[in-house]
Amino acid sequence: MGVYSWWKQPSWMADNKRMGMTPALPRLLSALTLLHLTAQVHSLKKGAIEDFKCTTNNMQVWDCAWTEPFGISPGTVKEVCFKDRLRSCRRLETTNIKIPALLPGDHEVTINYINGFQSKVTLNEKDVSLFPATPEILSLSADFSTSTLLLKWNDGGSALPHPSNATWEIKVLQNTSAEPIKLVSFNTTLSGKDTVHHWNWTSDLPLECAPHSVGIRWYIDYPRFSGSKGWSDWSLLKTVSWTPNSESIVFPQDKVILAGSDITFCCVSPTKVKFGQIGSTPQTLIHLYGESVAIHIRNISVSENSGTNVVFTTDDNVYGTVVFAGYPPDVPQKLNFETHDFKEIICTWDPGRPTGLVGPRETDYTLFESISGKIIIHKRPDTLTNESYRLVFPVLPDQEIYNFTLTGRNPLGQAESVAIINVTERVAPHVPVSLKLKDINSTVVILFWHLPGNFAKINLLCQIEIRKTNSEQEVRNATLKGAEDSTYLMAVDKLSPYTTYTFRVRCSAETFWKWSKWSNGKRHLTTEAIPSRAPDTWREWSSDGKNLIIYWKPLPMSEANGKILSYNVSCSSDEETRSLSEILDPQHRAEIRLDRHDYIISVVARNSAGPSPPSKIASTEIPNDDIIVEQAVGMGKRIFLSWHHDPNMTCDYVIKWCNSSRSEPCLMDWIKVPSNSTETVIESDQFQSGVRYNFYLYGCTDQGYQLLRSIIGYIEELAPIAAPNFTVEDTSADSILVKWEDVPVEELRGFLRGYLFYFQKGERETPKTRSFETGHSDIKLKNITDISQKTLRIADLQGKTSYHLVLRAYTHGGLGPEKSMFVVTKENSVGLIIAILIPVAVAVIVGVVTSILCYRKREWIKETFYPDIPNPENCKALQFQKSICEGSNALKTLEMNPCTPNNVEVLESRSIVPKIEDTEIISPVAERPGEGSEADPENHVVVSYCPPIIEEEIANPTADEAGGTSQVVYIDVQSMYQPQAKPEEEQDVDPGVVAGYKPQMRLPINPAVEDPTAEDEADKAAGYRPQANVNTWNLVSPDSPRSTDSNSEIVSFGSPCSINSRQFLIPPKDEDSPKSNGGGWSFTNFFQNKPND
Amino acid sequence: MKVLAAGVVPLLLVLHWKHGAGSPLPITPVNATCATRHPCHGNLMNQIKNQLTQLNGSANALFISYYTAQGEPFPNNVDKLCGPNMTDFPPFHANGTEKTKLVELYRMVAYLSASLGNITRDQKILNPGALSLHSKLNTTIDIMRGLLSNVLCRLCNKYRVGHVDVTYGPDTSSKDVFQKKKLGCQLLGTYKQVISVVAQAF
Repeated sequence: MGVYSWWKQPSWMADNKRMGMTPALPRLLSALTLLHLTAQVHSLKKGAIEDFKCTTNNMQVWDCAWTEPFGISPGTVKEVCFKDRLRSCRRLETTNIKIPALLPGDHEVTINYINGFQSKVTLNEKDVSLFPATPEILSLSADFSTSTLLLKWNDGGSALPHPSNATWEIKVLQNTSAEPIKLVSFNTTLSGKDTVHHWNWTSDLPLECAPHSVGIRWYIDYPRFSGSKGWSDWSLLKTVSWTPNSESIVFPQDKVILAGSDITFCCVSPTKVKFGQIGSTPQTLIHLYGESVAIHIRNISVSENSGTNVVFTTDDNVYGTVVFAGYPPDVPQKLNFETHDFKEIICTWDPGRPTGLVGPRETDYTLFESISGKIIIHKRPDTLTNESYRLVFPVLPDQEIYNFTLTGRNPLGQAESVAIINVTERVAPHVPVSLKLKDINSTVVILFWHLPGNFAKINLLCQIEIRKTNSEQEVRNATLKGAEDSTYLMAVDKLSPYTTYTFRVRCSAETFWKWSKWSNGKRHLTTEAIPSRAPDTWREWSSDGKNLIIYWKPLPMSEANGKILSYNVSCSSDEETRSLSEILDPQHRAEIRLDRHDYIISVVARNSAGPSPPSKIASTEIPNDDIIVEQAVGMGKRIFLSWHHDPNMTCDYVIKWCNSSRSEPCLMDWIKVPSNSTETVIESDQFQSGVRYNFYLYGCTDQGYQLLRSIIGYIEELAPIAAPNFTVEDTSADSILVKWEDVPVEELRGFLRGYLFYFQKGERETPKTRSFETGHSDIKLKNITDISQKTLRIADLQGKTSYHLVLRAYTHGGLGPEKSMFVVTKENSVGLIIAILIPVAVAVIVGVVTSILCYRKREWIKETFYPDIPNPENCKALQFQKSICEGSNALKTLEMNPCTPNNVEVLESRSIVPKIEDTEIISPVAERPGEGSEADPENHVVVSYCPPIIEEEIANPTADEAGGTSQVVYIDVQSMYQPQAKPEEEQDVDPGVVAGYKPQMRLPINPAVEDPTAEDEADKAAGYRPQANVNTWNLVSPDSPRSTDSNSEIVSFGSPCSINSRQFLIPPKDEDSPKSNGGGWSFTNFFQNKPND
Repeated sequence: MKVLAAGVVPLLLVLHWKHGAGSPLPITPVNATCATRHPCHGNLMNQIKNQLTQLNGSANALFISYYTAQGEPFPNNVDKLCGPNMTDFPPFHANGTEKTKLVELYRMVAYLSASLGNITRDQKILNPGALSLHSKLNTTIDIMRGLLSNVLCRLCNKYRVGHVDVTYGPDTSSKDVFQKKKLGCQLLGTYKQVISVVAQAF
């Protein structure tokens, strides 16, 4: 809109305003000021309108307002004229005017004041602004259960040009705060009449948690209106709020939300809330207003059955609410419709993913059939099972096609599944019941069963399962015309007589959908029929040949066709036919006394249905002299037999067998083989390993049976269980003849293949001979494969030697036990004689040679080994005091008197003998009590004093006379001094030394004259003890002048050397001098004493 | 009067004793305001004691089963959520006379029986899978019904009390789920505490 005066401002002025400041700026400002003053003067004369503006809120009336010109007082009467189609004027006192909307284009508005002032304005629609009227909210309500605000207002469209587009802006304020929590736009169309609009908004925060206010404004977009457009003012706020009780309350209550979503809980409380938690998880409190707080839960998880508890804790109490987080129903899966009886359609489905909601929040299902418009509501079960999701829809008459929609709903949503079915193609009949059977004959029965349901519109396909006891089953199909709740029947043929069957039935529709379950089995025994064949017969003559024994085998059940009650046996010849009495079933033999004529024996089996065909066999046998007994060995429980084809044999072959150890007539079993066969395998559970059987092959001709072959055999050979008995028939110095007996057939357990004979040297009960399995090289083995051989001579043996003999029999099954025997060969006398004579001859020759040599060298020997010894009788130096040995304390040395020896040989001692301590010495005799006891227990003498005495056995006639048999013991000093002296060392000793003094004495030991007192005294002697108990000394030397009777109590003591030794040499008095220097016995002594003997 | 004694009284007795005219008449004539549907057993107090012992023995298990089925934080905040702070619970004075105790017991058991009925109803909806809890609740209610009958018999027979004014707890059907849970838990907590006192008082 242009407001202008009479003079328009020249355009250059505006242009000048846009010009920049120039250096002539002061002159320009002065010109402008002048110009302005000029204009003011003109306006006072002509008049000018400032701020002339027009607005409209309905585009039909313009509301124009202006400011009075300078100099015009308010309330001045003026005339406002405007020219549209017609020129019209109004007299006004105000500065605004409402005029009808002018036509498009410029319009001149003239304002004439009374004082003559006039102002003109050009008005165009483009200069008019459109501001809709302020809207008014009709109502604002709240659905607290859903936290939803419902806003209603009227658009006042009847007063507005239409069609117009209106845009509404709605703001929601929470707790009357300045900032809206929600600001939304809402578009409508004005249709020329008043319209009430609705707007719903669901708050995240429960509406109970805080007051909520709503205000609206709008904006009209009328395309034909060319002026500017703007928003209306905001309406007055409408507020909804929840009036809290005195107690704190938590919101929302019992809300059902989608799992995984976010939710806000608030607690409207007059007291301070300390904690907030969901379940057992604490949450951050959000302050709302006052003491009210909230918690915000993100991505809430599926609740337990009883819901998720949200609690707020104050100082004195706990407040809470329960939220149920879950899922909307899943699309029903595995939707299935079928009918069992054409009365009901069973709808089953799988609910899919669990919703996590139970009780009143659980999914409700409805089944809607669109053709009939029928609805079935699923009744929620108390406890969920696999059968829970099942609905029954009635089969409607004259309707086969059904269009089902199954819909599941819960507070969070709904889902549905659709299926179109033809009910005749969804038939799964009930289980057939009441099975019954009726016999027609032995091979045909009729089966009845009842099938509940109305199947009149369809045909049924039924299966009958026929199962024999312990055999495979057979299934037969039958198509039956359906009926309503009817009993169906079917004939079952091709059965076996007298057989127990188990029948079962199941059915389906001919248009197959599902089989029903099998009915319960019904057992049935078919009726009997006559036996289908004759029994298998054989005959044997008794051992005395007077009676014929007829054997027959019981018919198998498949051929007996019933229970065999009895057998009729008859025999017929050319002259007569004899019939025996009936033989009841368990017996399968009959004995007939017959002569040796030809008879035909006939056997007939009979059951309740009738007799079997007869089985005939000739009584006699065609002789055959050309029979050779053969051998055969089977494998496992079977034995294989073969024979050559004999064209004369026109009927079956018969093979019978029996245990060979049985007495005649022997028959275990028989089999018949077709005449065109040449081999068979005989198998029987009765066969045992290691048992010999006889097999007989008979050929059959029209005249009767003829024995063709005789075979003995074993199913399996085993090792013998007995050893052959054997004896020694003859024994020499180098051979043994052994003889044995056969092993009995029962103990052989196989065909005898030979004997094994072992022998070796050995005594009874020696470990070496106890076993032959160790493979000793000295074991000799003979394998006797000639089973007819019954003797064996073993040669090249040693005389007078024990041999261990063992004999064992063997078969292909192994070695039998062994039988052993010990045999000693006779002595070889020639060898013994030679063995004796040769040593004797050698000894004699050695003796003779030795004697000759000694004789020829006797002088040398004498000088060497037996020199002359001076006579000690001429020596006075050697005198002992009488009391020398009467007391140990009086023991003294010899008194040395001057004497003149005839001849003195001085011996030098080279070795120093250790000093002898007065210790107890055990004599060698005492160390070998065994030998002493063997010699003479009565003369067992132990000498145990010092010095030791040389032991020497000398024949003493005096002693022998005095004490009978006595033993003289010499104890050699040397043997004590040098007990460990070696013989080699003795040879090194100087002969002169050896022949020197040796303190020896002869001790005749005689218990009868033993003086214990003297012994005690001798034991007490602690000092030097000269050789022996002097009381026992006997001066037996023939050289001693004082030799007296040995029994005399007066004992003369001379020099010890004068007693019995010419070699005695006085020992030196000095203790340090050697006491002995020689060995024991020497060859010199031997020859020295010899002349005295 | 003879007509009345000969005709009306036996007729009334026959109508009351539904087992028939042949039933033995009680020693103490039955008060018209103290009618029981069935004849009372002898040794009632023993039966009452046994029933109280039975309730006392199962109360704790019922309480635990209940708050466990409500989910967290009930098991961990039993004191605050299930505290026995019910204001309208009928009082019981263990040191009163037997008659007083029986009357108070009757009131209390009637209150409990009704409240347990509400709890059972609520829990079947809220916890349809908590079969053990349902079983315990039903068993407790059954025992309470028997106990009520026996107590009433005892009051009738011995104290000629045929009617006892009883109060019931608030109906929880209109309350929100949390309130149902909490009130039920508080009731069972109170029951557990009170029943032990009552069982010892008899």
